[in-house]
This record gives sequence, C-alpha cells and structure tokens, in this order.
Amino acid sequence: MRNTHTELLNFRNHVETKIDWAPHLNVITGPNGSGKTSLIDAIHYLCMSRSFVSNTDMYVVNQDESYFMIKGHFEGQIRSEFDVSCTYSRGDGKKIFVNDSPLEKLSDLIGMVPVVTLTPDDKKLTLEGPAERRSYIDSFISQISPGYLRDLIEFRRVRKQRNSLLQEYRGPASVLEAYLEPWNVQLVETGSRIVAKRYEVLEKLKDYLEEDYAMISGMDLTTNLEYQTFCTPGSDPKEIEKAYFEELERVQAKEIEREITTVGPHRDEVVFYLDDFELRRFGSQGQHRLFALSLKLAQLHYYSDELDDLPILMLDDVFGDLDLKKTEILLTALQQHKGQIFITSANPVPFKDYVTFDGENNRFYKVENGRVEEVNT
Amino acid sequence: MQITSEYLERAIEQLSKLPGTGRKSAQRIAIHLLKQNSDYALSLAQAIVDLKEKVTRCSVCGNVSDSDPCKICDNPKRDPSAICVVEEFNDVYIIEKSNEFRGRYHVLGGVISPMDNIGPDKLRIQELLKRVGEDDQINEVILALNPDAEGEATSYYINKLLKQYDVQVTRIAYGIPMGTELEFIDEATLSRAFASRNSF
Repeated sequence: MRNTHTELLNFRNHVETKIDWAPHLNVITGPNGSGKTSLIDAIHYLCMSRSFVSNTDMYVVNQDESYFMIKGHFEGQIRSEFDVSCTYSRGDGKKIFVNDSPLEKLSDLIGMVPVVTLTPDDKKLTLEGPAERRSYIDSFISQISPGYLRDLIEFRRVRKQRNSLLQEYRGPASVLEAYLEPWNVQLVETGSRIVAKRYEVLEKLKDYLEEDYAMISGMDLTTNLEYQTFCTPGSDPKEIEKAYFEELERVQAKEIEREITTVGPHRDEVVFYLDDFELRRFGSQGQHRLFALSLKLAQLHYYSDELDDLPILMLDDVFGDLDLKKTEILLTALQQHKGQIFITSANPVPFKDYVTFDGENNRFYKVENGRVEEVNT
Repeated sequence: MQITSEYLERAIEQLSKLPGTGRKSAQRIAIHLLKQNSDYALSLAQAIVDLKEKVTRCSVCGNVSDSDPCKICDNPKRDPSAICVVEEFNDVYIIEKSNEFRGRYHVLGGVISPMDNIGPDKLRIQELLKRVGEDDQINEVILALNPDAEGEATSYYINKLLKQYDVQVTRIAYGIPMGTELEFIDEATLSRAFASRNSF
C-alpha cells in the first residue's frame, strides 16, 4: 500500500501543505520543531485514525484554528485506489471519510492501510509495564485481523458492564452470581478468542524477532518471548474457554469482594528474553533500543509475508540514536523492503551516501516552519 | 440583548429540550409556530397533552396503547401460542410492519446494562415469566433482542429463567441482510450466518 499524495490543513504547524510522495523511500529533514513528524503523523491518522505522537486530537489542531483536515490518496494491491480523509473540529469531534463517504465506526479504518511505526518511544515497549506491550500487541494484530479488533471492543464492553455490576450491586451473593452469569459467558467467549489469536501471532513472531535482532545487533544472542495469560495458552479458543470458566469460578469470591474483573486477557503479559535473561530486568539501554527496533522490523516482515500488500513503514527520528554501523545495517535492511518508507531525521548526513534520490523512486524533502520543499540531488 | 416576548423565549426554551434540537432549531420552530393560525397551534398542543394523558401501557405486554389490554393482546386472531420478546415498543412497530409475525409481544422496556444501573429487576422479566407460567397456550418464546453485549446478556438471562417452564425458547436468526453481497459482510456476521445455517 502506498500513499501517493497528502494534504494537511491546520495540522499542527502546517497551515496548508500539499505533497506528492515517492513510491519507495521518502526522507524528510529539517530542524527540530519544523514539522517533520507532523507530516508522517498525518499519514498515520489516515491509516490508524489517530496520532502516534499525541493522545488527544485537540492538541494536533494548529493553535490559531479550531479544526484540522487531512486528505490522502492511496494505491495498492488489495484496493487499487482510494482516498481517505480525516476532519476534526472542537465541536464535532473526529470524522473519517473513505472516498467521501463517512465511516460509521473509526475502527472500520484499521487494517485498510497497514502501517508500522518506529519511534524513539519504542524503548517503552520493553522497559515499561505490561500495559505498553498489550496495547502494542493489540494494535499489531488489529491491523491484520478485523475479527480480533471486534473481539477487543466487545470484550472491553462486556468487562465494563461486568465491573459495573460488581461495583454497584448490593444484595445477596446468590442473586449476584445469577446476574454475573450472562456476562461471564460473553467474557469467556470473546476473551478466549483474544488469547488464542495473541498466542498464534506471538508464536509466529518469535522467528521473525530472532532473525531481525541478529541482523540489527550483529550478535548471536538468542531472543525469545513468552506469552503469559491465566492458563497455558494455545490456539484453540474452545480449550481456553474451559480454563477461563474454571478460573472465573475459582476467583469469584475474590472478585465480588474486590469489585473488579481480575481474570482475562486484560491482565496478559509478554516477557522478552535475550539469551534466557529477562530483558526488562537485566537488559542494558543499548539492548533495549535494539530489541525494540528488531520488534518493529519483525512486525514489518511479518506483515509483508502475511498480507497481500506491503505495509507502509515510518521511522520517526530513529537514526539520531544509532551509531554509524547500525545506521548502515538499518539502511541496508530498508533498501530490501519494497514497500513505501517515510523517514524523518534532523540530521541529513547518513542517507545520501547509501541512497540515490532520483525524484522518482526516492525523494528527499526539507521542512522549515511548516513549509515543505523537495530537494533531490 | 433585550427580550421583547417572554412567551416566545419560554417556547424556545421548551423546544430546545427536545432530542436532536439545538437552540437554533428551537428558534426556527418557535417562529414557524408563531406564524401559523391558532387552530394548528391548538391541535398540536392537544396532541401533546393526549400523548401524556391518553396513551397508556398495556398491562399484558407492556406496549404503548390507547386501551388496556392493547389491540394486539386483545385480538383473537393473533396466534396465542407464540410470544416475541423485544426491547422497546418501537421494535413492535418495526416487526409489525413486516407482517411476518402473527403472535403476541412482550416489551421488556430495556435491556440489562449495569453501567446504566439497569438490572433484570428493572425490566418486565417477572411479568414475562408470569405470563408464560399462567397461560398454557403459550409454547414458544421468541427472543428478538439486538445482537450486542447487552442484548445477548438479556437473552441469556431470560433463556435461563424460562427453562423451568414447558416452552420452547428460540431467537431470531442473525445473518446476511437481504439485498447485500457476501463480499461486503463482515467476518462476525458471516460466522454467525454459518453457525445458524439451515437446510435447504
């Protein structure tokens, strides 16, 4: 999938920007705060319906305005050509249009244009708590499985209802148990499908991760990951259902006392290992950085094999962190990826030695104060 | 700003409380009403008053009605053996339009939703059980609730309670809407449609 053209209106410091993109490599350079990241964040909006930088749409609006609009033209194998646009205003909120018709649910957009994002924040994936990893795995799988995303939304809804029941109900325990049952059934049904899908994807991801870590680090440390949930995970939802019901029954009294759902995929954890050592506890800063980088490359290669079309790859300010050797390895790996790539970097130096910016396949852009200029050489 | 008509202001105030009506629309409606002759205004006012004073709920099925029992419950031509359970009275209206179902209804008045503080005790579930328990003619209860989390929970709960009676509990089929093509159907609907396929 490729984004051939993007238009931004009042999007951060881009008052009005229109750009044509190259089908392969697009390098965007410029000083800090010039609006490089905003350009690729706009494309991210059109793929994922949200920013990868900011959690709140409001902060993305240019400070002198009350709304923003982004438009993009996409081309690819799955759908030959289509337009996506996204509008946001303080009163009306966010709306997404595909070929000018509004999407009923923002979640319907996910997966239309698969995207993999590498940012300096990726370190959080291995350094911070399990919630970071769950949300990454969820966005990973949602882009390739609409059924998974639907199950996630459903599961969240059922869990919220169930928690409300546990919190609000004042009455005999036997009645509460009868009231809980219809929610338990749905919790188990959707939750088990989520666990099975997570297991299936993470099992496959292991090999990609090992290969990409070896390539990036140049060292033969073995990577591994372990998916931890309330039971021994497997790929058959029916077997997980059985274990889930048993677990719910076991903790029922505790859940009633604590007034919250304590068992389910919302408590899952993924543990990463380097040569049998738990990365989160024993990894060095450098190892964390390389591991996160490999994880994202593994995602890229996983998508490329799994999907009928290549994902869009975005690297936001990743090169500032890497030494020359790693930069070289990464750039070589990127050359091998045939899909579209966007790179932002404050420092233009490394690229021109490895890539020819012909204005056709690869283009070089300079951004200053929200103004974009194509400067191929 | 100076207000020259308190009455107009009050009408706008009341109208803007209607669902989907903001202050601007309320203003437009109020000014429109002001321009109409008084017969129209009176009949509109009367219609609103009647809505509150004359429309009641059928004590059997819970549907809105001018009479109690309602015309459907009172109609001897309706099939006495089947009850269709729906969330709200507008669902009755929708099913009636299809002319497909000739039995009687039971309006729950909502679905179970702990988030909104609606438990089974706030719905007309006990009334349903009583109806089924007392009326020997009833041999099928059809659940026609929405296929979302709350509708499913409610269906599950009712089904469980109905097990103690000698009735068949069924639910409406979920699947592919008429006039659409398979390629536009989402996975969840499609797998439901496969699960509830029937012989040709």
